[in-house]
Amino acid sequence: MNVKVNSLSLTYGNHRALKDVTFELDSYKIYGLLGRNGAGKTSLLSIMASFHEPTSGSITINGEVPFENASIMQQVAFMYNKDYKDESDHAINVLKGVARYRPYFDMKYAEYLVKRFKLDKKKPIKQFSKGMQSALNVIIGLASRAPLTIFDEVYLGMDAPSRDMFYKELLEDQQNHPRVIILSTHLVSEMDYLFDEVIIIDEGNLMLQEEYDSLISKGAKITGNAEIVDDFVQSKQLLNVEQLGNTKAVTIYGELSKTERTIAVDKGLEIAPISLHELFVHLTKEVEDNEK
Amino acid sequence: MKSKAIYPKVAADMLTVLGTWVLGFLGVMILVQVGKTVVAFINGSEVDTYFNAVFIASNIAMFVIGIISTYFLHHYVENGVTRKDYFKGALVASIGLSIALPIIAFLVSKLGEFIVMNIDKVALNQADINSAVMETDGNIVGNIVQAFIIAPHIDPSSNWLLAITTLSLNILFFFLVGWFIGASFYRFHVVIGLGSILVGIIIITIKDSLLRLALDLPLPDQYISLDFLPSSASIPILLLLLGLLAWLIRSITKRVSIKM
Repeated sequence: MNVKVNSLSLTYGNHRALKDVTFELDSYKIYGLLGRNGAGKTSLLSIMASFHEPTSGSITINGEVPFENASIMQQVAFMYNKDYKDESDHAINVLKGVARYRPYFDMKYAEYLVKRFKLDKKKPIKQFSKGMQSALNVIIGLASRAPLTIFDEVYLGMDAPSRDMFYKELLEDQQNHPRVIILSTHLVSEMDYLFDEVIIIDEGNLMLQEEYDSLISKGAKITGNAEIVDDFVQSKQLLNVEQLGNTKAVTIYGELSKTERTIAVDKGLEIAPISLHELFVHLTKEVEDNEK
Repeated sequence: MKSKAIYPKVAADMLTVLGTWVLGFLGVMILVQVGKTVVAFINGSEVDTYFNAVFIASNIAMFVIGIISTYFLHHYVENGVTRKDYFKGALVASIGLSIALPIIAFLVSKLGEFIVMNIDKVALNQADINSAVMETDGNIVGNIVQAFIIAPHIDPSSNWLLAITTLSLNILFFFLVGWFIGASFYRFHVVIGLGSILVGIIIITIKDSLLRLALDLPLPDQYISLDFLPSSASIPILLLLLGLLAWLIRSITKRVSIKM
């Protein structure tokens, strides 16, 4: 499975939801797609799922344009916060309906998940709580086993134990049936351990695409005497600065060489890793502040 | 390797869902018919045949089902089905429904007539639905309402095959016009949606004129009159009109964005 996005733009009226976005997904990994509200995540994912056509640029999946391409569309499952207020059918019937059009759908696995998430088989879906409806979306996404599976914040309505159950199932099923999975989320700190690779978009632009481990190693928090810290970070990209008295803590973005680390320690500075959550917050905040 | 076509599956699924609704509609009409027969039995009056009662009500029913059909598009694209397969599947389902509904109505009607004929006090009303059209005063609103209620009618007792075919054509037009209006509202803003209602009314009126011409039925004095056409031209034009409706729906839904 290969997804190539090239100079992709999407405009709604006067609003440019995506601006010249280019990236490639080329292996069976779990990709974390991060972005603030309105950053363009859903717009991007809905183009992958052929819900929309891009205004300009291109997207190819396995070398083919997905829009109105029957064999490609079957391989892309896009799960989002769907409103089931008019769905009077029961969960099993809805799953059977999906199974008819999803070539890799595993009904046994779906039934196992229905039991695991404790969905009521006799209740019409419109009477499900928000959390139960989210669980149904998650079950459809997992059991479809589509080579490109996209979860666009479907888990937001689920409570913490259910989300945890989903993460475990996701990792296990991905191990047994590898595919490209995109998880779009706000719950960065909770989900970061799932990501093999991270994509951040901000205000319609691709900010970065990087392996999770390498990205995390680029962020660091330098704490110590204010003057020494200022001197040490002067050539670095600063993400955040906090100061209390003469003690300063600066979050930086960029690789720290071995020599730099040794110098920092020698100067009495403390170097602490930062989480993806902090990195995401500071990176997207920085752009906002710069534009002001 | 060429993959298996998906639209027959869509057609079968849509036929099942829409067919359930149509059977529900026909079931309600049976209950109404039983009620009317009981009242006629008490009063010793006449009762319309089931076929004729369905004939009047099915236009609106198919029109509404046509509008709702637009919303299946979302479901199918979401499940990886192309807009083209949805369109082809829904079109096949609509044709299937338009053929099945009159046949079921005819068979139930025959059974009902057989029962009524054995009840001494109730007589069957030989309704002259077409003459009702001639009684409207020719104003536009009256004509529109009348077009939706009283389509060109053939009584099954005179020619059952023609009666079934006429009803099939009528309800297929109503389904497609409903689908066309539903698709226009889904794709465009309200103004164009309202414009599609106007186009739909014009198409229904033209269909009425052409069908009356083809069946040699009386032509009312309407705002669109095609009485200058030879009756032999009316069937090909009717088929062209069906094709035009299908083309319009396909054009609207071909690249439509799916609303989330």
